[in-house]
Amino acid sequence: MESQLRRYTPFRGPFDPCPPVPFKTYVVPPNQFITFQPPDLPQFSLQEALKYGTLWPALFSPYESKCKGGGK
Amino acid sequence: MEANPCDQRYYEMLEQLQTLDFALVELNLYLNTHPDDLRSIEQFNQLTQERTKLANQFQELYGPLQNFGRAYSKCPWEWNQTPWPWQV
Repeated sequence: MESQLRRYTPFRGPFDPCPPVPFKTYVVPPNQFITFQPPDLPQFSLQEALKYGTLWPALFSPYESKCKGGGK
Repeated sequence: MEANPCDQRYYEMLEQLQTLDFALVELNLYLNTHPDDLRSIEQFNQLTQERTKLANQFQELYGPLQNFGRAYSKCPWEWNQTPWPWQV
């Protein structure tokens, strides 16, 4: 699966006060698919680990912010 | 010469310390659930040694990182001198 982002369309009622939102997104991080972390996973370098927020690339979840660019 | 805390070296060492600490936290949490993973334990011990050495170097130059007996102090007493962490 390419990215951890998934999409759904919120319910649209006949009396909605605002225009309908096309879709909303949510993130499903990799740790949802790894029940028990296997040993000896490849690791980031220490500097990268600090930047990415995890020591193992397999568990990294970008979780980009919605405000710059994203959103729609 | 009294090491001025706002020089480049100060921030470099702090960042390196932060990098080591983060990796150590990750490894520690990992090892809580993987007690038999020898490779990670070796990595953890190696990083701990590195972190202790770096912390000692830092404290030698710029004063204690922690107090209440977790770090030595020169004279005059260094703990309550500026800069404090939030001022750095």
